[in-house]
Amino acid sequence: MPNLTLDPTNLTAQFQHRGRGNPPSVIPLAAISNCFPGLEFDFRNVWRRVFEGIVLHEASGLVVDVDPGVPAEITALRGNQLISVDGDPMLADVTGPATPGGAVQNFGPDFLEWSNALARILSRAGQSVRCVFQDAQNNSVTSMLKIRPFFHIDELTGNRAPAIHETLASPGELTQSLCSPWQNDYRECACYYWAASRPDYINVQTAGGVTTGHNWMTRDRSPSAPRTYTLNSSLLFTYDELFQNWETLLKFQLDGKDET
Amino acid sequence: MFVPLSALTEHQPRPGHLFPTELGWHVLVADGSRLFRVNEEFRQAWQSAPDERGRHALLKEADIGAAPPIADTPPPLRALSLAVAQKCNLACTYCYAEQGDFGGPPKNMPLEHALRAVDRLFQDARQGESVNLSFLGGEPLLNRPVLQAATRYAAAAALRTGAALSLSITTNGTLVTPDDGAFFEEHGFSVSVSLDGVGDVHDRQRPFRGGDGSYARILQRIEPLLRMQRRMQVSTRLTATPDSTHSVKESIDALIDLGFHSVGVSPMLASPTGHGEMDPAALTRLLDQMKECGRAFEYAVMRGTRYPFLNMMNAMKEIHRGSHRPHPCGAGGSYFGVSADGKLYACHRFVDDPGAEFGSIEDGVDLDRQERWLHDRHVEQQSPCKTCWARYLCGGGCHHEVIRRGRPACDYIRGWLEYCLGAYVRIKTFAPGYFGADTN
Repeated sequence: MPNLTLDPTNLTAQFQHRGRGNPPSVIPLAAISNCFPGLEFDFRNVWRRVFEGIVLHEASGLVVDVDPGVPAEITALRGNQLISVDGDPMLADVTGPATPGGAVQNFGPDFLEWSNALARILSRAGQSVRCVFQDAQNNSVTSMLKIRPFFHIDELTGNRAPAIHETLASPGELTQSLCSPWQNDYRECACYYWAASRPDYINVQTAGGVTTGHNWMTRDRSPSAPRTYTLNSSLLFTYDELFQNWETLLKFQLDGKDET
Repeated sequence: MFVPLSALTEHQPRPGHLFPTELGWHVLVADGSRLFRVNEEFRQAWQSAPDERGRHALLKEADIGAAPPIADTPPPLRALSLAVAQKCNLACTYCYAEQGDFGGPPKNMPLEHALRAVDRLFQDARQGESVNLSFLGGEPLLNRPVLQAATRYAAAAALRTGAALSLSITTNGTLVTPDDGAFFEEHGFSVSVSLDGVGDVHDRQRPFRGGDGSYARILQRIEPLLRMQRRMQVSTRLTATPDSTHSVKESIDALIDLGFHSVGVSPMLASPTGHGEMDPAALTRLLDQMKECGRAFEYAVMRGTRYPFLNMMNAMKEIHRGSHRPHPCGAGGSYFGVSADGKLYACHRFVDDPGAEFGSIEDGVDLDRQERWLHDRHVEQQSPCKTCWARYLCGGGCHHEVIRRGRPACDYIRGWLEYCLGAYVRIKTFAPGYFGADTN
């Protein structure tokens, strides 16, 4: 297959452009546009590689990986937690009432949203800033890390382009943390939440005005298993089972009953 | 029945147009007016595709499918032009209005009709929406009291409704006074003066009824307005005929130097007498002149200087934002021309033409008529437009000219658009600031 490359030039081309391999939902017009983290791509992921050498967790500031060939000092950051950048804290105590009108409490530190927490340093691409981490023993570790450019720079003109710089995300990373409806949401949300195309209450039998049956996610739906709609997590398929083997575990429904 | 393959191929819509630029090969995808820089493999695949279906498939393979459809529902009425005077003191050789009276007795629009037209224009205009009121003719300054009263009435309606009113007038410039200038300035008019060139070139095409040239008189009348421009914009438009095409660049340069806000050019494609209509050779000459002006525009943009050649300014704006036009203009859609006796026509050119009548200012727009018009005039319903790669940039050409004469200028339009697409790529690459900060 030839490598057909089209570089969108005018606004409609850019606005409606779908990069190769991306799903239709990446086009703004097709987007559901949930703002955070988003159903089209998870914007948090653009911050994971904002510092050269390390890869952060998109939601917590945990150093989950380091780039190949980095010095031992950087390698040692793996597993540490980023707590401040150039003097700006990355965590803040959450305080407030637990219920409307209730007493103000301190709920402890939570991670600040990246777009806000890093806004001040974003324009300093190419410069090194002082990053403070906390290791597993609660010791502070300081490292000078270089900030990556956020926007792609057009080669011909040297101008900023309306595209995220390619070093910020490898292919697939912007969408890797999106919800996976079949594997996650289908287990999370039950009790008649879904449209008719998603089976829910199955193997139903009616007697004396009372129905009995199974939750589609119940692991044991054999004829001898109790026919009770359960949300008891220990009786349902695990997330991992669904990720690994959903196509075998979840049965098509014929006349409201598991296919045999 | 045997249908030769070539016949089928001929009628396949062209999904786009491949063209070379100094910055590599590009393709314009007709649907959505999307422009892409393409690599060598794409170019080869495009050029070796057996037919348009093959090219369509190629775009699909490159993940460039159809653009989301654009709603074709009729737009609300947002622009009216008033033929306040269906008469004129000039005798232009090619005039669509047949020396101003549209082939009937000369007449002025009564004030009452003008005010009811303004009421109609603002009837459902809401706060912040743009509405345009323009004055045409004939020569609109032959009915100055109605022009002024309608303007003031519209300005009051804009204040009352919060709608954003823009005002424009197309005049031959022979009757303009400094007081008119002050009035236009006060109301922020776009004043379009018809000048077909400098001196003799203009005089041959736009003489007074007695035969004398009008250029010197117009210049004398317009120069004070050029100096008064603050809120108002005084622009000029050249109508090119076979006799004037050789000097278009020279004329544009001279008119820009005079201080016009912008200078635009249109070829004379259909005149009631056939006089002055462009033939293929004249269109080729005009295209060369237009490109020369276009290059002067590019040069000015890159140097950061001023060369307000309206055709290029519009083309750059439209290509940049990817304008996708199912029709060439708003005529019969959001825009109508009002005749002196209060009837609505598809536009100012169709005044008193029963074939393009759309109701009246009293009864409003004939919606059935409008729906049929918009359907029938849609570029996908027109031939040969529906197979042309430029269909959604061009929109099918001026309805009035097409209905009267057909489409004699398609090669000219495509040639101009291909030049403009290349110019867009150059400007966007080397002077991207022209399209706004941080655009790329």
